[in-house]
Amino acid sequence: MRDPAASHVCLSIEGLTKRFGGFYALNQLNMDVQQGHIHALIGPNGAGKTTFFNLLTGVLPADTGKIVFDGQIVDDARPSRRTLKGIARTFQNIRLFPHLTVMETVMIGEHCRAHPSVWKALGDAVLKRPFQESVAEREMQTNAIELLEYLGLAGKRDEKASDLPYGEQRKLELARALATKPRLLLLDEPAAGMNPRETSELDRIITRVRDRGITIILVEHDMKLVMGISDNVTVLNFGTKIAEGSPRQIQDDPVVIEAYLGEDVQL
Amino acid sequence: MFDGLLDGYTRSLLIFAGIHMIAAYSFYLPYKTGQVSLGQAGFMAIGAYASAILTQKFGIPFAAALIVGGIAAGIIGIAIGFPALRIKGIYLLLLTLGFSEIVSVVALSWEYVGGAQGFRQISFNPFTLEYVIVIIAVLLFFFARLERSSLGRAMDSIHQDETAAEVMGIDVVRIKLLAFGLGAGIAGLAGALYAHHATFMDSTTFNIMLSVEILVFVVVGGGSTYWGPAFGAVVLNAIPEFLRALREWLELIPVAWTNFYPVNRVYDFLHGFLDFENAKRLIAYGVILILMMIFRPDGLLTRDSLRRLRLPRWKSRHA
Amino acid sequence: MLYQQLINGLMLGASYALIAIGYTLIFGVLKLLYFAHGEVFMIGAFAGLYLVLYGGANIYVALLGAMIICALLGVIAVYVSVRPVAKDRPLAPLISTIGLTIILQNLAVYLLGGQQVAFPEAIKQELYHIGPITISSVQIFILGIAISLMVVLWFFIEHTKMGRAIRATAENHETAALLGVDVNRVVLVTFMIGSGIAGVAGVLDGIKNSGISPFMGLSAAVKGLIVMLLGGLGNVPGAMIAGLLLGLIEILSAAYIGTTERDFFSFAILILILLYRPTGLFGARTPEER
Repeated sequence: MRDPAASHVCLSIEGLTKRFGGFYALNQLNMDVQQGHIHALIGPNGAGKTTFFNLLTGVLPADTGKIVFDGQIVDDARPSRRTLKGIARTFQNIRLFPHLTVMETVMIGEHCRAHPSVWKALGDAVLKRPFQESVAEREMQTNAIELLEYLGLAGKRDEKASDLPYGEQRKLELARALATKPRLLLLDEPAAGMNPRETSELDRIITRVRDRGITIILVEHDMKLVMGISDNVTVLNFGTKIAEGSPRQIQDDPVVIEAYLGEDVQL
Repeated sequence: MFDGLLDGYTRSLLIFAGIHMIAAYSFYLPYKTGQVSLGQAGFMAIGAYASAILTQKFGIPFAAALIVGGIAAGIIGIAIGFPALRIKGIYLLLLTLGFSEIVSVVALSWEYVGGAQGFRQISFNPFTLEYVIVIIAVLLFFFARLERSSLGRAMDSIHQDETAAEVMGIDVVRIKLLAFGLGAGIAGLAGALYAHHATFMDSTTFNIMLSVEILVFVVVGGGSTYWGPAFGAVVLNAIPEFLRALREWLELIPVAWTNFYPVNRVYDFLHGFLDFENAKRLIAYGVILILMMIFRPDGLLTRDSLRRLRLPRWKSRHA
Repeated sequence: MLYQQLINGLMLGASYALIAIGYTLIFGVLKLLYFAHGEVFMIGAFAGLYLVLYGGANIYVALLGAMIICALLGVIAVYVSVRPVAKDRPLAPLISTIGLTIILQNLAVYLLGGQQVAFPEAIKQELYHIGPITISSVQIFILGIAISLMVVLWFFIEHTKMGRAIRATAENHETAALLGVDVNRVVLVTFMIGSGIAGVAGVLDGIKNSGISPFMGLSAAVKGLIVMLLGGLGNVPGAMIAGLLLGLIEILSAAYIGTTERDFFSFAILILILLYRPTGLFGARTPEER
């Protein structure tokens, strides 16, 4: 934990609820995420973690509840608007664009900052400097290369995203999300399918991203990673919050141990 | 411009191939964002009827009517584009097809535009070929620029994974609407050009099979690159002409060389096979389509094959 | 007058329903918009015509013959335009079946000529009066065949092993395969059944309109599509009811509003359904598909 005086609430969730039929995927969730923290969200499969991300990014509409991000209520129906406000995410089941190159994939992330207006994007594509590369395009390329170097993917920038090995696809998803210049980054099981070496590299990358001032919510099953880097942990079970606290408090919480009984997880 | 060079037949052939090419681009633009339309003939009809009404009933010059026809089709395109946002795949195919059929029912029952008798005596535009060439040049330029722009990349990403694109901040709604509306506008231009070349049209001129043909141009040419629609339209318009030319070459062989068994049988068979008859030509067309989908389902040209060929791609390699 | 129109509507609707059943079966198992289905309908009509005209067959034999010929055509379609084509590209099977459509239609034009051909009077015309309704023997025959075919098919789908396999495949290919369903065989049988029914529909249409042409397939295909959507994609009983419904709507709107508006109504219904109830009136059997 860092200096508590400097921290303020970046994201505040009040009474967030989502039902599928009669089943509560998320039930009256209240949660505060401190600015500049890595806040882990853990829980058994089906606890509602990915649903929470989907509600936060607007992929699914919430039934009830309030999301306050940096003092502003977030209620935009369309995910792209929320991305513009500074919320970015990765996907649990990797969703890269299979036919784009690594470089192009990152530049998709940059698009919303470089071209927030579709009309201007059209003008930039066709009318401005019609026989040369546009200025915005060149800037986007420079930024993309910088980001790829930061994540150690620069050598693969002209490869197709779908040709990368699994661990690098996860890193590319992270690069694409970072390219949207988020203030809040949602990572959905970023270490899934990674080997121990890649996981420890991910550990360093996540910490470095946090040190850039980006708040992170981390959904992850790798408890070693979670307990090592998180500032705060929230535990969900059947859509309900059952515990919250520092990694140490969570590891000793009998309720949490109970919830995880039968799951092959080392807390 | 080409009066001395081209006979009327060749000229007309080029015009139809060019109009098909423009129509193919009208399909390609929404397709680039993942929207598959079976209603492009309907947008062509709107451009055709709007422009023909202007030239015939109001005496407006063709150039202005052409532009208005394109804009009219584009506006209707955006109107159809809104509901099209909510649906995908087969539902979108059916929506656009249904729209196109409604346009032809309106053309059939609206006496002002000739009703069942058809729209007659539309003024003939002697410069259709020149217009077609200019429009194709502009389109090629536009798509070449789009291909290496951020907007073009955003369209590709929507095609490949709409949800992921939206979550990455891409304004999927506006980009899809823009692509659908602009595509409809391009189709409107093609329709206006057609009307003022053929000088006659009725409710069956812009039918489902035309929409299907337009889709086929793009898929056969290759939907992953902007050269695909042009290539598909050229190849599929050239095939029947090629068969015809083969037959004419066959006829150049002196009779004495072939007038004995078994060569005469082979000759007769080939000659008969190359007979320029519509039904046979279309059967060959159908066979080619099936073979294409079996052996080259991504079309004749793909982005990857172009990369390998190192055709002029202006995209600067980032140093 | 109204009763008469209702009968006419049911007659038209029965042939729509028969075409749509094949569409919806095939869409169910393959998620494929099977474009050539209308041409199968047309080939069925010609098969029936030639069996009656040159084979000297009575009408029942002609119906059976057309059914068998079209079922075989369904098998050919699977081997030529479905199995060899890449499954992972959504447009490829659509285009290959469009290719098949073009081949079948023009083969018919090439071999049989592009004209409308008169269909021989295969059933003796007799008129029956039941209360205010006048109904002819031809109408009774067509409705009887169509409805009994639908009942048999419904029984087959709901109560036989193959029917269950078809339904399981429509739900999910992988799960069905895991449950021991031979998916390839199911696809083949589905094409045979759908095409066979379309063949019967073609003959019935020939009898009803007393004329057929190689171009009758396209409009039948389009109407079949509307009915499929109206009934819910992949929903067989839905297609049956929706077919009868669309037939009634078309005949009634033609009788009381105007003949050119008739098509307008069916397409307007198509668009309204797409916008407000894309699962059809009775719910789709399959989830939304890209």
